[in-house]
Amino acid sequence: MELLLFILPVFFALSVLIVPKKGVRAYGIIGSLAVLGVVIACMMQYSNDGTVHLFADKKDWLSGITLSFGYDGISLLMLLLTAVLVPLVLVSNFKNELAENRLFTSMVFFMQLGLIGVFISMDGLWFYVFWEITLIPIFLISWWFGAPERKAALMKFFIYTFVGSLAMLAALIGIKVNAASFYIEDLKAVVFTSKAACWLALGFFLAFAIKIPIFPFHTWQPDTYTKSPMAGTMLLSGIMLKMALYGMIRWMIPLFPEAMACIQYPIIVLATIGVVYAAVIAIKQKDMKRVFAFASMSHVGLIAAAIMTWDFDALSGSMVQIINHGLVAVGLFLAVEIIERRTATRNLADLGGFAKQAPKFAFWFAVLAFASVSVPLTSGFIGEFLMLKGLVQFDMIIGIIAGTTLILGAVYTFRAYQLSMYGPVTRDQFADLHWSELIVLAIIVIAVVILGIYPAAITDFVNPSLKIVLETVSTPSGL
Amino acid sequence: MSVSQILPLILLLPLIGAFINGTIGKSLSKVVVGTIATGVMAISFVLAVMAFMSVQHGEPVTVQLFTMIKTSGFSLNARLFADNLSLWMTLIVTGVGTLIHLFSMGYMKHDAGYYKFFTYLNLFIFAMLTLVLGSNYFMLFFGWEGVGICSYLLIGFWYQDFKNTLAARKAFIMNRIGDLGLLIGLFLILGKFGTLEYVEVAKAVMMEGFEISEYLIFGITICLFIGATGKSAQIPLFTWLPDAMAGPTPVSALIHAATMVTAGIFLTVRSNFLFELDGAHLTKDIMLYVGLATSIIAAIIAMRQNDIKKVLAYSTVSQLGMLFVALGMGAYTAAMFHVTTHAFFKALLFLGSGSVIHAMSDEQDIRKMGGLRKKIPITHFTFLIGTLAISGIPLLSGFYSKDEIIGHAFESHKFVYFALMFSSALTAIYMFRLYFVTFFGTFRGTHEQEHHLHEGPASMTLPLIILAVLSIFGGLLNLPGVFLHSGTHWLSHHYAFNVTGPGMELGEHGDPNTTLMLMAAAGAMAVIISIITYIVYVKRNSVPVADDQLKGLEKASAMKLYFDEIYDFLFVKPVLWLSEKGAHYFEGAFLHRGVVGLGKAIGKSGDIVRKIQTGRTDNYILWMVFGIIGLIVYYIIYYKN
Repeated sequence: MELLLFILPVFFALSVLIVPKKGVRAYGIIGSLAVLGVVIACMMQYSNDGTVHLFADKKDWLSGITLSFGYDGISLLMLLLTAVLVPLVLVSNFKNELAENRLFTSMVFFMQLGLIGVFISMDGLWFYVFWEITLIPIFLISWWFGAPERKAALMKFFIYTFVGSLAMLAALIGIKVNAASFYIEDLKAVVFTSKAACWLALGFFLAFAIKIPIFPFHTWQPDTYTKSPMAGTMLLSGIMLKMALYGMIRWMIPLFPEAMACIQYPIIVLATIGVVYAAVIAIKQKDMKRVFAFASMSHVGLIAAAIMTWDFDALSGSMVQIINHGLVAVGLFLAVEIIERRTATRNLADLGGFAKQAPKFAFWFAVLAFASVSVPLTSGFIGEFLMLKGLVQFDMIIGIIAGTTLILGAVYTFRAYQLSMYGPVTRDQFADLHWSELIVLAIIVIAVVILGIYPAAITDFVNPSLKIVLETVSTPSGL
Repeated sequence: MSVSQILPLILLLPLIGAFINGTIGKSLSKVVVGTIATGVMAISFVLAVMAFMSVQHGEPVTVQLFTMIKTSGFSLNARLFADNLSLWMTLIVTGVGTLIHLFSMGYMKHDAGYYKFFTYLNLFIFAMLTLVLGSNYFMLFFGWEGVGICSYLLIGFWYQDFKNTLAARKAFIMNRIGDLGLLIGLFLILGKFGTLEYVEVAKAVMMEGFEISEYLIFGITICLFIGATGKSAQIPLFTWLPDAMAGPTPVSALIHAATMVTAGIFLTVRSNFLFELDGAHLTKDIMLYVGLATSIIAAIIAMRQNDIKKVLAYSTVSQLGMLFVALGMGAYTAAMFHVTTHAFFKALLFLGSGSVIHAMSDEQDIRKMGGLRKKIPITHFTFLIGTLAISGIPLLSGFYSKDEIIGHAFESHKFVYFALMFSSALTAIYMFRLYFVTFFGTFRGTHEQEHHLHEGPASMTLPLIILAVLSIFGGLLNLPGVFLHSGTHWLSHHYAFNVTGPGMELGEHGDPNTTLMLMAAAGAMAVIISIITYIVYVKRNSVPVADDQLKGLEKASAMKLYFDEIYDFLFVKPVLWLSEKGAHYFEGAFLHRGVVGLGKAIGKSGDIVRKIQTGRTDNYILWMVFGIIGLIVYYIIYYKN
């Protein structure tokens, strides 16, 4: 059944190309729901003991490359995020002409294939292959359907991330030289001198740092986000950058525990700088989408820093926050899109007063804004609480600096919200939510609130797996 | 019903009210909406009284709701804890809350967002009750942030005026600065004790052989205090509270006078076992002097404010400062006593001012009022009682509660005693000024306003009357041992009973004669000031002049001692500057160009190499010949050596 995780996206990606234009919308949504069903079935089946359940296990496939695919709690959670977000992205796109486009829908499914592959590959080379596969559909989505002046930004994005990926490939090969195969356990078994480990870990780090993005590797991000169509931005910020966070937990640190001594501190410092830097820059941005692009960078910087503390609580918090950020970012970018659809601008100076005309939108957007600043009763709260606790225990000063996100986050989020929704009315009319928009916002908000009240739903599921991952590292290289 | 069944209900009822009004309130009539919201509050209050009765002399009750999250070392529980302190706060919150809900039914009658208002109000009560009833710091923080959100929503309730939304944002952000401090404090507690439950931390602290480094306990307590300065509007984080007056007046009464702003005091009293440890002395001293400075500075600013609500807002800040002075001296019971009476008379004054504003067709400037005494008699009379109570006129509640704090100061810190007397004198001056200018003299508004002058409906006057009665007799709660045989000291006994911690002794002044003397001095001062202000504002009939005619200290007072301007210059401007210039120069010019430059450099190097690839055979042959020659030369040199 697990093979359906591959088969379904490929099937829908290809078959959607021959579906009549009118049916593309529904077909896409049905397809994505089918994938969601499979993921849920996998979750039900998984015995929650934290171990990796390998459903494909062929160790001698092709000169060191193995066919090993499987999942544990962490992978399943990421799969679930992907499987939930893709239908949400499709539904929120419902009103756009783009939704009728066969190529677009096909690319979304290819994207999903790549993402699923990344999260279930237990073989280094397959991980790399799927990691690269995701780049193609997202690039094409933005290239074909993005804003008119997108090309320079997208070339920058492509080259930037590609360079990072190559560094990762080089590092992978660097380990493989000493390992029996690309199978994750074989790779983990290799013992390095700490100097070699540092260099190889840096290869991985470069790929991840660009994708996340971590300061100062982020310059592709705001431009790409703003020039991409909404669906592209959602896929990028909602799921794609989570690949890198996942990669840190699954690959970078377990593969090179010897490198922790030299990379831990610098990465945490860079990530923390990014948290504050992005938040400060977000404050005065004029383009609403850019505000949330920088906000996203600030939030994921905190997640990256928390992961690098390699503290159990902080990791569990970062898992909660990964889910939370995926949901909230999609919601916020949809809110921007809703405004842009109706007013044809995202310039904050030109907006205002929509709360009066569109009370429903105002309500759901407001809850999202609160979720984005991690207030209690939203999942971000628990996530940030645990992550900041880990950081404070790691280093008081860093913890406090990262904690300023609490304050700065409130500044830019509410500035953007108030400038657009409050104040005197600026447009003659502003239609309230379409049902497709309402559904997406409502699902996101309800999920965020439920997870905010009962975050154990996430942590109980991933904690056993996190524990195992954590343990393998504290005993160096699985010896 | 047992207490463990009642407790969740007290908490849930406001939430249910908020949910009903929030979902279907729009289609209900205003009366129904108001009745639901007020009704759940009233039931909640009755339940709180029941719970209070049964816990008062029994063991504290803990109710486990569910475990929010379980991590390696600790678990965060949604758990309720009822002892005398938390239930006393619950009584204040639900009791005063009910009255203010009732008042709002009349006050907000003409507002389009009626249902939304009551939803927020109920939601606020839910958050506030979570704050006081939680059994651990985590729940407290939950409620702490929750009340901040509701406060934000209610300050910016009239969002079409952008000024209001700015005030809301300011309040939220300043609160968040404090929240960060509190959060760090929580992490420190968690690191040291491995739990956030009050009872377990208290147990650990009071165990034989408990040791903690002075730095750590100072760190913990100062962090908690930083949190308190945000929520309870102390220097340096107090400037949001006066701006918060942008919200509807019942909100100012409920959130920004009676309940939310006392959260910082509650936090400190709740954590008294930490503040009584050796290393916390420094924190307590800081608390004392910050409170004192806040009390005096806010009182000075209040002297020359002409917006009826702004005067009351600064008065609140000033009173909160006094409460922190009490806490800094370890007078926890006295602080709780004053919190209680302050909730009564400050809610009364705010609702009274709301009634005035309602009567004046939304005019808030006291210079345009005057002579309202005859027009709105009930409001006038109750406002008078509030003024007398806060000014410390003998026999009213504020007199006793304030005296208890001042008495403590007299015993331990003579300087603080005089400073507090100065602050109370200022309080009496600005309050009587406010009262006389508003209610005496001749009417100075427009004809239209005069025509509209009317007393509010019964839903507005009834809460005023009840609060007035409470403001008069609230002092009985903790009467010192001068008047009756040994005083009532009811509140002191009450707290001594089951609030854990070494700091909870009976808050008595030793010697009745000293007490009497101090009371006489304070009472005489208040009375004399009332007479002087009467002469100035009624007999001479002087009206405050426009701000631009003021000079020196008066001008500074009217300009709020320039706090906003200073903060703007020190913090707001630099951050905005960084944001703008950072985006332009660092992000745009440096990083962006750097990356693009790197790409271009690679491209350039390609250009250079490309020139060799001419595609002409003769060129290639030439290069080949060079190559062969080179090889031969190399070969020869290599073999010669």
